[in-house]
Amino acid sequence: MTGTVIKGHIGIGPAVEGIALVASDNFSTRYDLDRDRGIVSRPSHKLYGENYVGRILVLNAAKGGVASAWMLREMVQRDKAPLGLLLNDANPVMAQGAAFAQLPLIDRFETDITAAIKSGDRIAVDPAQGLVRILSSN
Amino acid sequence: MKLNDIEQAMLDGVHGKAAQWAIDYQRSVGTFFDADDFVPVRVIHVSTDRETIGDSGVAFIEELGAMPPEERRPRAFATADFRGFDEETFRFLLPGRDLAAESAEAVGALGKLGVVTSHAYVNDHSVTAPGFGEACGYSGTPSVVYMNGIVGARCNFEAGPSSLAAFFTGRVPRYGFHLDEKRLATHAFTLDFTPATVVDWGIVGALIGRKLNSYWSVPALEITGPRPAVLDLNHMALAMASYGSIAMFHVIGITPEAPDWNTACGGKAFEREVISQSDLDAFYAEWGGIGEKLDVVALSTPQLDIPEIVQIAERLDGRKVHADTTLLVYTPIEIKEACARIGLTQTIENAGGRVVHGHDFFATFAREIREAHGWERLMTHSVKMVNICEGYGYKPTPAAIPRCIDSAIAGKVLP
Repeated sequence: MTGTVIKGHIGIGPAVEGIALVASDNFSTRYDLDRDRGIVSRPSHKLYGENYVGRILVLNAAKGGVASAWMLREMVQRDKAPLGLLLNDANPVMAQGAAFAQLPLIDRFETDITAAIKSGDRIAVDPAQGLVRILSSN
Repeated sequence: MKLNDIEQAMLDGVHGKAAQWAIDYQRSVGTFFDADDFVPVRVIHVSTDRETIGDSGVAFIEELGAMPPEERRPRAFATADFRGFDEETFRFLLPGRDLAAESAEAVGALGKLGVVTSHAYVNDHSVTAPGFGEACGYSGTPSVVYMNGIVGARCNFEAGPSSLAAFFTGRVPRYGFHLDEKRLATHAFTLDFTPATVVDWGIVGALIGRKLNSYWSVPALEITGPRPAVLDLNHMALAMASYGSIAMFHVIGITPEAPDWNTACGGKAFEREVISQSDLDAFYAEWGGIGEKLDVVALSTPQLDIPEIVQIAERLDGRKVHADTTLLVYTPIEIKEACARIGLTQTIENAGGRVVHGHDFFATFAREIREAHGWERLMTHSVKMVNICEGYGYKPTPAAIPRCIDSAIAGKVLP
Protein backbone atom coordinates (compact mmCIF):
# COMPACT_ATOMS: atom_id res chain seq x y z
CA MET A 1 0.00 0.00 0.00
CA THR A 2 1.34 3.43 -0.94
CA GLY A 3 3.04 5.18 1.97
CA THR A 4 3.55 2.02 3.97
CA VAL A 5 6.87 1.85 5.82
CA ILE A 6 8.34 -1.57 6.58
CA LYS A 7 11.04 -1.90 9.21
CA GLY A 8 13.92 -4.31 8.96
CA HIS A 9 17.36 -4.70 10.53
CA ILE A 10 19.98 -2.04 9.85
CA GLY A 11 21.36 -2.85 6.41
CA ILE A 12 24.32 -2.27 4.13
CA GLY A 13 24.97 0.11 1.23
CA PRO A 14 23.51 3.41 0.00
CA ALA A 15 19.84 4.49 -0.10
CA VAL A 16 18.05 3.91 -3.43
CA GLU A 17 14.64 4.22 -5.05
CA GLY A 18 13.39 1.88 -7.73
CA ILE A 19 10.92 -0.71 -8.99
CA ALA A 20 10.54 -3.97 -7.08
CA LEU A 21 10.76 -7.46 -8.57
CA VAL A 22 9.26 -9.84 -6.03
CA ALA A 23 8.90 -13.58 -5.45
CA SER A 24 8.70 -15.86 -2.43
CA ASP A 25 11.63 -17.93 -3.77
CA ASN A 26 15.16 -17.92 -2.40
CA PHE A 27 18.20 -16.37 -4.03
CA SER A 28 21.70 -17.20 -5.20
CA THR A 29 23.65 -15.30 -7.83
CA ARG A 30 25.35 -18.48 -9.01
CA TYR A 31 22.37 -20.83 -9.01
CA ASP A 32 19.59 -18.61 -10.28
CA LEU A 33 20.99 -15.98 -12.64
CA ASP A 34 22.35 -15.67 -16.14
CA ARG A 35 24.72 -12.91 -15.13
CA ASP A 36 25.72 -12.07 -18.70
CA ARG A 37 22.16 -11.47 -19.88
CA GLY A 38 20.82 -10.14 -16.60
CA ILE A 39 17.91 -12.56 -16.32
CA VAL A 40 16.79 -15.21 -13.86
CA SER A 41 17.78 -18.45 -15.55
CA ARG A 42 16.68 -21.24 -13.23
CA PRO A 43 13.55 -22.82 -14.77
CA SER A 44 12.04 -23.68 -11.37
CA HIS A 45 12.44 -20.12 -10.05
CA LYS A 46 9.24 -18.03 -9.94
CA LEU A 47 11.09 -15.16 -11.63
CA TYR A 48 12.38 -17.37 -14.45
CA GLY A 49 13.06 -15.28 -17.56
CA GLU A 50 12.65 -11.94 -15.73
CA ASN A 51 15.22 -9.20 -16.25
CA TYR A 52 16.45 -8.12 -12.83
CA VAL A 53 18.97 -5.45 -13.87
CA GLY A 54 18.20 -2.14 -12.20
CA ARG A 55 15.28 -3.60 -10.23
CA ILE A 56 15.13 -4.03 -6.47
CA LEU A 57 14.97 -7.79 -5.96
CA VAL A 58 12.71 -8.86 -3.10
CA LEU A 59 13.09 -12.53 -2.20
CA ASN A 60 12.93 -14.86 0.76
CA ALA A 61 16.35 -16.17 1.83
CA ALA A 62 19.90 -16.27 0.60
CA LYS A 63 20.89 -19.77 -0.41
CA GLY A 64 23.88 -21.60 -1.74
CA GLY A 65 27.50 -20.88 -1.40
CA VAL A 66 30.23 -18.35 -1.41
CA ALA A 67 29.99 -17.24 -5.00
CA SER A 68 27.75 -14.23 -4.38
CA ALA A 69 30.43 -12.42 -2.38
CA TRP A 70 32.66 -11.85 -5.41
CA MET A 71 29.89 -11.90 -7.99
CA LEU A 72 27.75 -9.00 -6.74
CA ARG A 73 30.63 -6.54 -7.23
CA GLU A 74 31.41 -7.98 -10.67
CA MET A 75 27.73 -7.59 -11.59
CA VAL A 76 27.68 -3.98 -10.34
CA GLN A 77 30.80 -3.10 -12.32
CA ARG A 78 29.36 -4.67 -15.49
CA ASP A 79 25.96 -2.96 -15.06
CA LYS A 80 24.27 -6.34 -14.67
CA ALA A 81 23.25 -6.01 -11.04
CA PRO A 82 19.94 -5.45 -9.31
CA LEU A 83 19.57 -1.96 -7.82
CA GLY A 84 19.13 -3.43 -4.36
CA LEU A 85 18.25 -6.57 -2.49
CA LEU A 86 15.59 -7.11 0.18
CA LEU A 87 15.47 -10.55 1.82
CA ASN A 88 13.64 -12.04 4.75
CA ASP A 89 16.91 -13.73 5.71
CA ALA A 90 20.34 -12.88 4.34
CA ASN A 91 23.31 -15.10 5.07
CA PRO A 92 26.91 -13.99 5.64
CA VAL A 93 27.84 -14.44 1.98
CA MET A 94 25.12 -12.09 0.79
CA ALA A 95 26.06 -9.50 3.43
CA GLN A 96 29.76 -9.81 2.59
CA GLY A 97 28.95 -9.49 -1.11
CA ALA A 98 26.72 -6.47 -0.59
CA ALA A 99 29.36 -4.75 1.55
CA PHE A 100 32.03 -5.48 -1.06
CA ALA A 101 29.83 -4.25 -3.91
CA GLN A 102 28.20 -1.42 -1.94
CA LEU A 103 24.86 -2.84 -3.06
CA PRO A 104 21.91 -1.90 -0.83
CA LEU A 105 20.75 -4.84 1.31
CA ILE A 106 18.23 -5.07 4.15
CA ASP A 107 16.86 -8.23 5.82
CA ARG A 108 15.00 -9.38 8.97
CA PHE A 109 11.83 -7.36 8.40
CA GLU A 110 8.94 -7.12 10.86
CA THR A 111 6.79 -8.89 8.27
CA ASP A 112 7.27 -11.21 5.29
CA ILE A 113 8.81 -8.75 2.86
CA THR A 114 7.88 -10.88 -0.16
CA ALA A 115 4.19 -10.51 0.79
CA ALA A 116 4.39 -6.84 1.79
CA ILE A 117 5.71 -5.63 -1.57
CA LYS A 118 4.43 -6.48 -5.05
CA SER A 119 6.33 -6.61 -8.31
CA GLY A 120 6.07 -3.22 -9.98
CA ASP A 121 5.81 -1.27 -6.73
CA ARG A 122 8.07 1.76 -6.59
CA ILE A 123 9.96 1.65 -3.31
CA ALA A 124 12.56 3.61 -1.37
CA VAL A 125 15.23 1.61 0.44
CA ASP A 126 17.20 3.16 3.31
CA PRO A 127 19.74 0.63 4.63
CA ALA A 128 21.19 3.01 7.25
CA GLN A 129 17.80 3.12 8.95
CA GLY A 130 16.71 -0.39 7.95
CA LEU A 131 13.54 1.04 6.36
CA VAL A 132 11.63 0.42 3.14
CA ARG A 133 8.87 2.78 2.01
CA ILE A 134 6.32 1.94 -0.69
CA LEU A 135 6.14 5.09 -2.85
CA SER A 136 3.55 3.89 -5.34
CA SER A 137 1.78 0.63 -5.94
CA ASN A 138 0.26 -0.86 -9.09
CA MET B 1 31.14 -3.48 17.52
CA LYS B 2 33.71 -3.09 20.25
CA LEU B 3 37.24 -2.65 18.90
CA ASN B 4 40.31 -3.35 21.03
CA ASP B 5 43.45 -1.23 20.76
CA ILE B 6 44.95 -3.21 17.87
CA GLU B 7 41.69 -3.21 15.92
CA GLN B 8 41.26 0.53 16.46
CA ALA B 9 44.84 1.07 15.28
CA MET B 10 44.06 -0.95 12.14
CA LEU B 11 41.03 1.23 11.51
CA ASP B 12 43.18 4.32 12.01
CA GLY B 13 45.61 3.08 9.35
CA VAL B 14 48.53 2.37 11.69
CA HIS B 15 48.87 -1.21 10.35
CA GLY B 16 48.67 -0.29 6.69
CA LYS B 17 46.04 0.37 4.07
CA ALA B 18 45.07 -3.28 3.50
CA ALA B 19 44.32 -3.86 7.18
CA GLN B 20 42.45 -0.55 7.28
CA TRP B 21 40.21 -1.60 4.41
CA ALA B 22 39.80 -5.06 5.90
CA ILE B 23 38.79 -4.10 9.44
CA ASP B 24 36.36 -1.48 8.15
CA TYR B 25 34.79 -4.02 5.78
CA GLN B 26 34.59 -6.68 8.50
CA ARG B 27 33.07 -4.19 10.91
CA SER B 28 30.27 -3.41 8.46
CA VAL B 29 29.47 -7.12 8.05
CA GLY B 30 29.78 -7.74 11.80
CA THR B 31 27.46 -4.82 12.55
CA PHE B 32 24.92 -6.20 10.07
CA PHE B 33 24.85 -9.42 12.12
CA ASP B 34 25.02 -7.77 15.58
CA ALA B 35 28.53 -9.06 16.39
CA ASP B 36 29.84 -7.67 19.69
CA ASP B 37 33.51 -8.04 18.86
CA PHE B 38 36.11 -9.96 16.84
CA VAL B 39 37.55 -13.44 17.41
CA PRO B 40 41.19 -14.21 16.43
CA VAL B 41 41.82 -16.84 13.75
CA ARG B 42 44.95 -18.73 12.78
CA VAL B 43 43.87 -20.24 9.48
CA ILE B 44 42.15 -18.60 6.52
CA HIS B 45 40.96 -20.33 3.40
CA VAL B 46 40.37 -18.21 0.31
CA SER B 47 38.00 -19.60 -2.29
CA THR B 48 39.00 -18.20 -5.63
CA ASP B 49 37.58 -20.16 -8.52
CA ARG B 50 38.11 -18.02 -11.60
CA GLU B 51 34.49 -17.93 -12.70
CA THR B 52 33.32 -16.68 -9.30
CA ILE B 53 36.06 -14.18 -8.63
CA GLY B 54 35.55 -12.45 -11.96
CA ASP B 55 37.74 -9.85 -13.59
CA SER B 56 36.87 -7.30 -10.92
CA GLY B 57 37.96 -9.69 -8.15
CA VAL B 58 41.32 -10.30 -9.82
CA ALA B 59 41.75 -6.55 -10.26
CA PHE B 60 40.95 -6.02 -6.57
CA ILE B 61 43.56 -8.59 -5.47
CA GLU B 62 46.11 -7.04 -7.84
CA GLU B 63 45.41 -3.61 -6.34
CA LEU B 64 46.19 -4.99 -2.89
CA GLY B 65 49.34 -6.62 -4.24
CA ALA B 66 50.49 -3.33 -5.81
CA MET B 67 50.65 -1.70 -2.39
CA PRO B 68 54.11 -1.51 -0.74
CA PRO B 69 54.68 -4.53 1.55
CA GLU B 70 54.37 -2.43 4.71
CA GLU B 71 50.83 -1.50 3.67
CA ARG B 72 49.66 -5.12 3.28
CA ARG B 73 51.18 -7.28 6.01
CA PRO B 74 49.15 -10.43 6.71
CA ARG B 75 48.10 -11.49 10.22
CA ALA B 76 46.96 -15.07 9.54
CA PHE B 77 48.05 -18.09 7.52
CA ALA B 78 46.07 -18.36 4.32
CA THR B 79 45.66 -21.10 1.78
CA ALA B 80 43.69 -20.88 -1.41
CA ASP B 81 42.09 -23.81 -3.17
CA PHE B 82 43.33 -22.51 -6.44
CA ARG B 83 43.31 -25.74 -8.32
CA GLY B 84 43.94 -24.21 -11.72
CA PHE B 85 42.70 -25.65 -14.97
CA ASP B 86 43.37 -28.85 -16.82
CA GLU B 87 44.55 -27.23 -20.03
CA GLU B 88 44.14 -30.26 -22.27
CA THR B 89 40.58 -30.95 -21.17
CA PHE B 90 39.60 -27.31 -21.32
CA ARG B 91 40.78 -26.99 -24.89
CA PHE B 92 38.14 -29.66 -25.56
CA LEU B 93 35.43 -28.33 -23.23
CA LEU B 94 35.65 -24.67 -24.13
CA PRO B 95 37.61 -24.10 -27.33
CA GLY B 96 38.87 -20.58 -27.90
CA ARG B 97 39.10 -19.54 -24.27
CA ASP B 98 42.48 -19.46 -22.53
CA LEU B 99 41.45 -20.37 -19.03
CA ALA B 100 44.97 -21.34 -18.04
CA ALA B 101 46.18 -17.79 -18.62
CA GLU B 102 43.19 -16.35 -16.76
CA SER B 103 43.80 -18.61 -13.78
CA ALA B 104 47.51 -17.76 -13.74
CA GLU B 105 46.58 -14.10 -13.16
CA ALA B 106 44.74 -14.91 -9.96
CA VAL B 107 47.38 -17.36 -8.72
CA GLY B 108 50.03 -14.71 -9.29
CA ALA B 109 48.03 -11.99 -7.57
CA LEU B 110 47.28 -14.10 -4.51
CA GLY B 111 50.85 -15.36 -4.32
CA LYS B 112 52.11 -11.80 -4.25
CA LEU B 113 49.96 -11.19 -1.17
CA GLY B 114 51.44 -14.28 0.52
CA VAL B 115 48.46 -16.59 0.11
CA VAL B 116 49.69 -20.16 -0.36
CA THR B 117 47.95 -21.74 -3.31
CA SER B 118 47.52 -25.49 -3.32
CA HIS B 119 46.02 -27.88 -5.80
CA ALA B 120 44.83 -30.22 -3.08
CA TYR B 121 41.14 -30.42 -2.31
CA VAL B 122 40.21 -28.46 0.79
CA ASN B 123 38.92 -31.21 3.02
CA ASP B 124 41.78 -33.62 2.57
CA HIS B 125 43.84 -31.82 5.22
CA SER B 126 46.97 -31.53 3.13
CA VAL B 127 47.52 -28.30 5.04
CA THR B 128 47.25 -28.12 8.81
CA ALA B 129 43.56 -28.15 9.55
CA PRO B 130 41.74 -26.39 12.37
CA GLY B 131 40.82 -28.60 15.31
CA PHE B 132 37.78 -29.00 17.54
CA GLY B 133 36.62 -25.69 18.98
CA GLU B 134 39.11 -23.57 17.00
CA ALA B 135 37.82 -20.43 15.26
CA CYS B 136 38.74 -20.25 11.58
CA GLY B 137 37.94 -18.25 8.46
CA TYR B 138 37.07 -20.73 5.74
CA SER B 139 35.58 -19.57 2.50
CA GLY B 140 34.23 -22.54 0.55
CA THR B 141 30.68 -23.49 1.50
CA PRO B 142 31.47 -27.23 1.76
CA SER B 143 34.54 -26.46 3.85
CA VAL B 144 32.60 -24.33 6.32
CA VAL B 145 29.84 -26.86 6.91
CA TYR B 146 32.49 -29.60 7.15
CA MET B 147 34.49 -27.63 9.71
CA ASN B 148 31.46 -26.79 11.83
CA GLY B 149 29.56 -30.07 11.64
CA ILE B 150 32.19 -32.77 11.20
CA VAL B 151 35.33 -31.29 12.82
CA GLY B 152 33.68 -29.05 15.41
CA ALA B 153 35.83 -26.05 14.47
CA ARG B 154 33.99 -22.72 14.41
CA CYS B 155 33.36 -20.81 11.24
CA ASN B 156 30.88 -18.69 9.31
CA PHE B 157 30.87 -18.52 5.53
CA GLU B 158 33.80 -16.15 5.00
CA ALA B 159 33.45 -15.72 1.28
CA GLY B 160 36.22 -14.47 -1.04
CA PRO B 161 36.70 -10.82 -0.05
CA SER B 162 35.75 -11.60 3.53
CA SER B 163 38.45 -14.25 3.94
CA LEU B 164 40.96 -11.88 2.35
CA ALA B 165 39.98 -9.28 4.95
CA ALA B 166 40.58 -11.84 7.71
CA PHE B 167 44.00 -12.54 6.18
CA PHE B 168 44.97 -8.92 6.86
CA THR B 169 43.39 -8.59 10.30
CA GLY B 170 43.90 -12.06 11.76
CA ARG B 171 40.35 -12.08 13.07
CA VAL B 172 36.71 -12.38 12.06
CA PRO B 173 33.55 -10.85 13.49
CA ARG B 174 32.20 -12.97 16.34
CA TYR B 175 28.63 -13.84 15.34
CA GLY B 176 26.78 -16.90 14.09
CA PHE B 177 28.69 -20.15 14.52
CA HIS B 178 31.42 -18.64 16.68
CA LEU B 179 28.80 -18.41 19.44
CA ASP B 180 27.93 -21.46 21.58
CA GLU B 181 24.18 -20.84 21.48
CA LYS B 182 24.04 -20.50 17.67
CA ARG B 183 25.58 -23.96 17.26
CA LEU B 184 22.71 -25.71 19.01
CA ALA B 185 20.13 -27.55 16.93
CA THR B 186 17.02 -25.66 15.89
CA HIS B 187 15.29 -28.51 14.00
CA ALA B 188 15.18 -32.27 14.45
CA PHE B 189 14.96 -35.06 11.89
CA THR B 190 14.90 -38.84 12.00
CA LEU B 191 15.92 -41.09 9.13
CA ASP B 192 13.81 -44.23 9.06
CA PHE B 193 15.95 -45.91 6.40
CA THR B 194 19.66 -46.41 5.81
CA PRO B 195 21.11 -44.45 2.87
CA ALA B 196 22.94 -46.83 0.56
CA THR B 197 25.26 -44.49 -1.35
CA VAL B 198 26.78 -41.02 -1.14
CA VAL B 199 24.03 -39.91 -3.51
CA ASP B 200 21.39 -41.04 -1.02
CA TRP B 201 23.23 -39.09 1.68
CA GLY B 202 23.39 -36.08 -0.61
CA ILE B 203 19.64 -36.29 -1.16
CA VAL B 204 19.03 -36.42 2.60
CA GLY B 205 21.07 -33.21 2.79
CA ALA B 206 19.10 -31.66 -0.07
CA LEU B 207 15.75 -32.53 1.55
CA ILE B 208 16.82 -31.00 4.86
CA GLY B 209 18.29 -27.95 3.12
CA ARG B 210 15.09 -27.36 1.15
CA LYS B 211 12.96 -27.61 4.29
CA LEU B 212 15.05 -25.25 6.41
CA ASN B 213 16.25 -22.78 3.86
CA SER B 214 18.09 -20.58 6.29
CA TYR B 215 21.72 -20.11 7.22
CA TRP B 216 20.69 -19.77 10.86
CA SER B 217 18.92 -23.15 11.02
CA VAL B 218 20.89 -26.02 12.54
CA PRO B 219 19.46 -29.46 11.81
CA ALA B 220 20.08 -32.44 14.09
CA LEU B 221 19.57 -35.84 12.57
CA GLU B 222 19.10 -39.28 14.09
CA ILE B 223 20.07 -42.15 11.85
CA THR B 224 19.74 -45.91 11.74
CA GLY B 225 22.20 -48.45 10.46
CA PRO B 226 25.98 -48.45 10.51
CA ARG B 227 28.10 -45.41 11.25
CA PRO B 228 28.34 -43.29 8.07
CA ALA B 229 31.74 -42.63 6.52
CA VAL B 230 33.10 -39.10 6.54
CA LEU B 231 32.52 -39.00 2.76
CA ASP B 232 28.82 -39.81 3.35
CA LEU B 233 28.56 -36.95 5.83
CA ASN B 234 30.49 -34.68 3.49
CA HIS B 235 27.99 -35.29 0.65
CA MET B 236 25.08 -34.70 3.01
CA ALA B 237 26.66 -31.55 4.41
CA LEU B 238 27.50 -29.89 1.12
CA ALA B 239 24.01 -30.64 -0.22
CA MET B 240 22.51 -29.02 2.89
CA ALA B 241 24.69 -25.99 2.23
CA SER B 242 23.81 -25.92 -1.45
CA TYR B 243 20.03 -26.33 -1.15
CA GLY B 244 19.52 -24.41 2.06
CA SER B 245 22.63 -22.38 2.92
CA ILE B 246 23.09 -24.60 5.99
CA ALA B 247 26.49 -24.19 7.68
CA MET B 248 26.14 -26.31 10.83
CA PHE B 249 24.52 -29.67 11.58
CA HIS B 250 24.55 -32.51 14.07
CA VAL B 251 24.20 -36.26 13.68
CA ILE B 252 23.29 -37.72 17.05
CA GLY B 253 25.99 -40.01 18.36
CA ILE B 254 28.25 -39.26 15.38
CA THR B 255 29.33 -35.62 15.16
CA PRO B 256 31.42 -34.09 17.94
CA GLU B 257 28.90 -31.71 19.49
CA ALA B 258 26.01 -34.19 19.48
CA PRO B 259 26.71 -37.07 21.87
CA ASP B 260 22.95 -37.13 22.52
CA TRP B 261 19.77 -35.19 21.67
CA ASN B 262 19.86 -33.15 24.86
CA THR B 263 23.38 -31.84 24.23
CA ALA B 264 22.77 -31.15 20.54
CA CYS B 265 19.59 -29.18 21.27
CA GLY B 266 20.79 -27.40 24.42
CA GLY B 267 18.10 -29.07 26.50
CA LYS B 268 15.25 -28.14 24.17
CA ALA B 269 12.92 -30.75 22.71
CA PHE B 270 11.89 -30.47 19.07
CA GLU B 271 9.35 -32.51 17.19
CA ARG B 272 11.31 -34.88 14.96
CA GLU B 273 10.39 -34.86 11.32
CA VAL B 274 10.79 -38.23 9.66
CA ILE B 275 12.62 -38.57 6.34
CA SER B 276 11.65 -41.82 4.59
CA GLN B 277 12.67 -43.93 1.65
CA SER B 278 9.64 -42.51 -0.18
CA ASP B 279 11.08 -38.98 0.15
CA LEU B 280 14.32 -40.27 -1.34
CA ASP B 281 12.50 -42.01 -4.19
CA ALA B 282 10.51 -38.86 -4.93
CA PHE B 283 13.70 -36.82 -5.22
CA TYR B 284 15.17 -39.26 -7.74
CA ALA B 285 11.89 -39.26 -9.68
CA GLU B 286 11.90 -35.45 -9.79
CA TRP B 287 14.94 -35.47 -12.09
CA GLY B 288 14.16 -38.52 -14.18
CA GLY B 289 15.71 -38.74 -17.62
CA ILE B 290 15.67 -42.53 -17.83
CA GLY B 291 16.13 -43.69 -21.42
CA GLU B 292 17.20 -40.26 -22.68
CA LYS B 293 20.40 -39.65 -24.63
CA LEU B 294 23.20 -38.87 -22.20
CA ASP B 295 25.52 -36.01 -23.14
CA VAL B 296 27.89 -35.75 -20.21
CA VAL B 297 28.74 -37.51 -16.97
CA ALA B 298 30.52 -35.18 -14.56
CA LEU B 299 31.80 -36.84 -11.40
CA SER B 300 32.87 -34.00 -9.15
CA THR B 301 31.84 -31.87 -6.16
CA PRO B 302 33.44 -33.07 -4.04
CA GLN B 303 36.31 -34.16 -6.24
CA LEU B 304 36.90 -37.88 -6.19
CA ASP B 305 39.12 -39.73 -3.77
CA ILE B 306 41.31 -42.70 -4.64
CA PRO B 307 38.81 -45.44 -3.67
CA GLU B 308 36.22 -43.84 -5.97
CA ILE B 309 38.71 -43.73 -8.84
CA VAL B 310 39.53 -47.39 -8.24
CA GLN B 311 35.80 -48.12 -8.45
CA ILE B 312 35.50 -46.23 -11.76
CA ALA B 313 38.57 -47.87 -13.28
CA GLU B 314 37.31 -51.34 -12.35
CA ARG B 315 33.91 -50.58 -13.84
CA LEU B 316 35.41 -49.27 -17.09
CA ASP B 317 38.16 -51.86 -17.53
CA GLY B 318 37.89 -53.33 -21.04
CA ARG B 319 34.77 -51.30 -21.91
CA LYS B 320 34.27 -48.11 -23.94
CA VAL B 321 32.41 -44.91 -23.16
CA HIS B 322 29.76 -44.24 -25.83
CA ALA B 323 30.98 -42.00 -28.64
CA ASP B 324 28.22 -39.45 -27.99
CA THR B 325 28.81 -39.22 -24.24
CA THR B 326 31.62 -37.37 -22.45
CA LEU B 327 32.83 -38.83 -19.15
CA LEU B 328 34.64 -36.38 -16.87
CA VAL B 329 36.24 -37.62 -13.64
CA TYR B 330 37.48 -34.74 -11.46
CA THR B 331 40.26 -35.12 -8.93
CA PRO B 332 43.16 -33.01 -7.60
CA ILE B 333 46.27 -33.16 -9.77
CA GLU B 334 48.21 -34.96 -7.03
CA ILE B 335 45.58 -37.73 -6.96
CA LYS B 336 45.48 -37.93 -10.75
CA GLU B 337 49.25 -38.42 -10.80
CA ALA B 338 49.12 -40.94 -7.95
CA CYS B 339 46.45 -42.90 -9.83
CA ALA B 340 48.53 -42.74 -13.00
CA ARG B 341 51.44 -44.35 -11.15
CA ILE B 342 49.34 -47.49 -10.65
CA GLY B 343 47.61 -47.40 -14.03
CA LEU B 344 44.13 -46.27 -12.96
CA THR B 345 44.21 -43.02 -14.93
CA GLN B 346 45.23 -44.89 -18.06
CA THR B 347 42.42 -47.42 -17.63
CA ILE B 348 39.85 -44.64 -17.50
CA GLU B 349 41.42 -42.80 -20.44
CA ASN B 350 41.71 -45.99 -22.52
CA ALA B 351 37.97 -46.45 -22.04
CA GLY B 352 37.40 -42.96 -23.43
CA GLY B 353 36.94 -41.12 -20.12
CA ARG B 354 38.83 -38.01 -19.10
CA VAL B 355 40.48 -37.62 -15.69
CA VAL B 356 40.32 -33.89 -15.09
CA HIS B 357 42.25 -31.92 -12.51
CA GLY B 358 41.62 -28.37 -11.44
CA HIS B 359 38.41 -26.64 -10.53
CA ASP B 360 35.13 -28.49 -10.40
CA PHE B 361 32.93 -28.79 -13.46
CA PHE B 362 30.26 -26.45 -12.12
CA ALA B 363 32.80 -23.74 -11.30
CA THR B 364 34.36 -23.51 -14.73
CA PHE B 365 31.84 -21.91 -17.06
CA ALA B 366 29.52 -24.93 -17.18
CA ARG B 367 26.83 -22.89 -18.93
CA GLU B 368 29.20 -21.89 -21.71
CA ILE B 369 30.42 -25.49 -22.00
CA ARG B 370 26.82 -26.68 -22.43
CA GLU B 371 26.20 -24.11 -25.13
CA ALA B 372 29.50 -24.89 -26.92
CA HIS B 373 28.64 -28.59 -27.15
CA GLY B 374 24.86 -28.42 -27.36
CA TRP B 375 24.60 -30.59 -24.24
CA GLU B 376 21.45 -31.13 -22.19
CA ARG B 377 21.38 -34.34 -20.17
CA LEU B 378 23.98 -34.60 -17.43
CA MET B 379 24.51 -37.34 -14.86
CA THR B 380 26.41 -36.89 -11.62
CA HIS B 381 26.75 -38.51 -8.21
CA SER B 382 26.82 -35.02 -6.65
CA VAL B 383 23.42 -33.79 -5.51
CA LYS B 384 24.92 -30.32 -5.11
CA MET B 385 25.90 -30.32 -8.77
CA VAL B 386 22.35 -31.32 -9.74
CA ASN B 387 21.20 -28.13 -8.03
CA ILE B 388 23.73 -25.86 -9.70
CA CYS B 389 23.65 -27.37 -13.18
CA GLU B 390 19.88 -27.07 -13.41
CA GLY B 391 20.40 -23.32 -13.12
CA TYR B 392 22.91 -23.54 -15.96
CA GLY B 393 20.38 -25.09 -18.30
CA TYR B 394 21.30 -28.78 -17.96
CA LYS B 395 18.82 -31.56 -17.32
CA PRO B 396 20.63 -33.32 -14.49
CA THR B 397 20.09 -36.86 -13.22
CA PRO B 398 21.56 -37.85 -9.84
CA ALA B 399 22.90 -41.39 -9.73
CA ALA B 400 25.51 -43.44 -7.92
CA ILE B 401 28.88 -43.83 -9.63
CA PRO B 402 28.29 -47.38 -11.04
CA ARG B 403 25.03 -46.27 -12.68
CA CYS B 404 26.72 -43.16 -14.05
CA ILE B 405 29.49 -45.28 -15.59
CA ASP B 406 27.12 -47.87 -17.07
CA SER B 407 25.02 -45.06 -18.54
CA ALA B 408 28.11 -43.41 -20.05
CA ILE B 409 28.90 -46.69 -21.78
CA ALA B 410 25.32 -47.10 -23.00
CA GLY B 411 25.11 -43.46 -24.14
CA LYS B 412 21.78 -43.05 -22.39
CA VAL B 413 20.44 -42.75 -18.86
CA LEU B 414 19.99 -46.26 -17.51
CA PRO B 415 17.54 -47.03 -14.67
